[in-house]
Amino acid sequence: MTDTNARSRRRFLRAVGAGGVAALAGCSAEQTDDGTATTGAGEGTTEPAGTTTGEATASMADTLVVATSPPFVDAPSTSPGAWLKEEFESEFDATLVYQTPDSELNYYIERVVQGVEFEADVYVGLDTGQLIDVDGKRGEGEFTDPLFAEAGELEGLSAVRDGLRFDPQSRAVPLDTGYVSLVWNATMDGGEFVAPETFEELTSDEFAGDLIAQNPTTSTTGEAFMLHTIDRFGADGYLDYWQRLQDNGVTVLGEWSDSYSAYLNEEAPMIVSYSTDQVFASAEDQDLQKHQIRFLNDQGYANPEGMARFADSDAPRLAEAFMEFMLRPETQAGIAQRNVAFPAIADAPLPEDYGQYAKEPPESVTFTYDELEANLDTWTDEWARRFAGG
Amino acid sequence: MGAALRRRVSRARAREALDRTTAPLERVALPLLAVVTAGLLGVLFYYPVATVLVDAVVEGGTLTGGPLAAVLGDGFYTGRVLGFTALQALLSTLLSVVLGLPGAWVLARFEFRGRDTLRSVTMVPFVVPSVLVAAAFYATFGASGTLNAALGALGLPELDLLPSLGAILVAHAFYNAPLVARVVTAAWESVDAGAVETARSLGASPRRAFRDVVAPQLLPAVLMGATLTFVFTFASFAIPLALGGAQFATIEVFIYAARQQLEYGRAASLAAVETGVSLSLMALYLRYEREQSAQRRESRSLRRRPLVPDAWTRERVVSRLAVAGYAAVVGLVFLAPLASMLYASVSVDGRLTLDAYRFLLERQATGARFQVKPFPAVVNSLLFGAATLAVALPMGVAMGVLTTRRFRGRWVVDALSMAPLAVSGIVVGLGLLRGLVFGVEAFGYRFTVAGALAVVAAHAVAAYPFVVRTVAPPLDRLDRSLVESARALGASRVRTLLDVELPLVWPGVIAGAAFAFAISIGEFDATVILAEGGGTYTMPVAVERFIGRRLGPATAMGTVLLAVTAASFVVIERVGGEFRG
Repeated sequence: MTDTNARSRRRFLRAVGAGGVAALAGCSAEQTDDGTATTGAGEGTTEPAGTTTGEATASMADTLVVATSPPFVDAPSTSPGAWLKEEFESEFDATLVYQTPDSELNYYIERVVQGVEFEADVYVGLDTGQLIDVDGKRGEGEFTDPLFAEAGELEGLSAVRDGLRFDPQSRAVPLDTGYVSLVWNATMDGGEFVAPETFEELTSDEFAGDLIAQNPTTSTTGEAFMLHTIDRFGADGYLDYWQRLQDNGVTVLGEWSDSYSAYLNEEAPMIVSYSTDQVFASAEDQDLQKHQIRFLNDQGYANPEGMARFADSDAPRLAEAFMEFMLRPETQAGIAQRNVAFPAIADAPLPEDYGQYAKEPPESVTFTYDELEANLDTWTDEWARRFAGG
Repeated sequence: MGAALRRRVSRARAREALDRTTAPLERVALPLLAVVTAGLLGVLFYYPVATVLVDAVVEGGTLTGGPLAAVLGDGFYTGRVLGFTALQALLSTLLSVVLGLPGAWVLARFEFRGRDTLRSVTMVPFVVPSVLVAAAFYATFGASGTLNAALGALGLPELDLLPSLGAILVAHAFYNAPLVARVVTAAWESVDAGAVETARSLGASPRRAFRDVVAPQLLPAVLMGATLTFVFTFASFAIPLALGGAQFATIEVFIYAARQQLEYGRAASLAAVETGVSLSLMALYLRYEREQSAQRRESRSLRRRPLVPDAWTRERVVSRLAVAGYAAVVGLVFLAPLASMLYASVSVDGRLTLDAYRFLLERQATGARFQVKPFPAVVNSLLFGAATLAVALPMGVAMGVLTTRRFRGRWVVDALSMAPLAVSGIVVGLGLLRGLVFGVEAFGYRFTVAGALAVVAAHAVAAYPFVVRTVAPPLDRLDRSLVESARALGASRVRTLLDVELPLVWPGVIAGAAFAFAISIGEFDATVILAEGGGTYTMPVAVERFIGRRLGPATAMGTVLLAVTAASFVVIERVGGEFRG
């Protein structure tokens, strides 16, 4: 499908987007057996399917629907959504519409399995685990054709840093990365507290009851920390290590936000969190002594995030233009600062003091798609059976 | 028949004469409401839930029962997880009853300034988003919290209370003790003073009169509060995750994890087990409720004693000391966490600041179209709450009247209509997505249900069981001859209900209205799922969006939520009080 013949539906979409949800919509019925399957309910006629001609901008659709998680567009501190939309629209003759379903990518997986169309063209913010979920669901229900298209030859793709390309099938293009590390409070124990430097020390008596972590089955940071312990101690040894953590009084809470509020309330002097913690702390004028970063064994677990184009997108060229736009050095720097993360490319023009508060580990650790695909469910399940459930 | 009743009955008849034009409508009103209720239940609850639960027994289009068998045959789930979930629910229920009953006693038996307002706002804790309760508990009972600071200042040893099973139980009581207090207060206010006076005049001591006359009338309400508390805490999720730690994971946590991993078979099977337990308990309670058939004609509430008596006797001193002790407990368990939430909204690192509220104003003024803003959240919440009341009250009353009739299999209808309380919120959410937002394809069209009306309908379906439960038992206990007399005098069934029965069970109606409103205000999953495009977010959604590293914005929004909700409760009870027939 070309970009042009989707215009009328896109006008409809934009109209809906502009007014939020059609205010009192109760039930609605939309025709489904239409070959083009793009006519919005009650909308005008579909333009005849023309072939794409000439220059890209002339034939591109006029609306790009970007699917992402709510925090990407609407976080209380800072989020890149509004800035990106403004930058993109000022350069391209198109409107960027965000879709932020609460269940994130699972929402779209559900849709394809049930065989229900959707309008999104690009997904922004997917990680290795989500990609594995997508591929694992393929073949169920109506989900037969690929959900995402291969990225192809994108301008700027070659600049992406080694080790961040997490999709062996080259659908997801890395966007940014974060590192999971320890954050610690140097004002505790009467100002004497110093976080341990290794995984081994963390289980020593000196640090009994001092760590807050998260449940790997319900939290991303929790999962990253568990994976880091597996990288360190192996699939045969991580449960023993967790047993030692447990014996040493680790607190494992469900979600990052709960655990962080416990940390802020000085429930314990250390928490598993992000290595960018000081960026927020300095922006909010807080005591940086309470927001120290520690990379255990000089390592941080990397959680690269990417974007991918939906295979069914009816604005594929605009979507590609968007992805190339996202890979530009200036955009990369802008996203990294607003998403409080690290760019996917090496030469993004970040302010010189960015590294002062956003810490990168000497060495980054991460599991590949294939390793996670083969093991993640088993690792998580074994962890849960040992440490959760009464 | 008492004089007041005679007046009511004849008034019903007089109005009937006036309203002859509306009579045909009135005749079909109740059955029509019942049909509408059944229809809404079917579309907004049973069908969506079925689209999910079917995964427990169907794999790849074939009926195998595999996933359900796998869960049932797994000792980890049926033993450890289910065992712990039931244990914490049982303990939470006991604690909620213990903390709630004295509240009902104080509210129903003592007169003091602000009693009406206090009773109105009892249910406020019920609507506080769990993430704020968790944060408030850490600020209050945590290692460096207010309680330990106070203990330290008094030279007492500090306590390490969090995280623990105890913290889960107290937080569950924070939510559910008010519920117990509210339903028991309503029952206590409906106890007929005449019966107590008769017992006393026949020589019964106050203690004896309480045991033989009052207590039997309170017991159904206590058991109902307990049953609801058990069902809620059995499906609890966020609180155990936040205040208990991984070792205290309930079955709902595993349903959530399974859903996240897209293991729908396992999620559905675990949810089926959970629902089975909750519904069985509910059915047991309903059977018990049916057996209570004390008949009542007139309702003249017991006279409340002044909290500060004119003269002190030993008995009075003891009971007022008990009230004071209870007030201290309420201060610690309910008010201290709420106060620490307020404090978190006006402080950063111990400095007082209005930054968080400035954030709300700024977001309101400059937020992008696709961002959540505070004011629309307040307006949407109030609109949904009011609309939910308008739908759930008639639904609940109609079902209440219907289920007081005696027919075979009534308890099945009863239990089925209560099911919205007993099914995992995660499953309902997924079902609404699959069944309604994605819709059904038929005749070449895809029929979908979403938007504000769908949100209201979903709220009403979740809320109306409360109305049924607070209205049906007292209706059932009314003397049937009252209704028959009114009917014999020519009043339609609806007229009789409005003019004779409802005024007699009014405390229950008001309590049901408060519950329905609270459910709507606090609802999260259906709201975000059905408001697909994001334009119809509510206050809890705003709280969730404003959660960040800092607690300020979320707690400030939470404070707004509390203030708006408390004011609404007061309005509901005031307006409700004036409508009493």
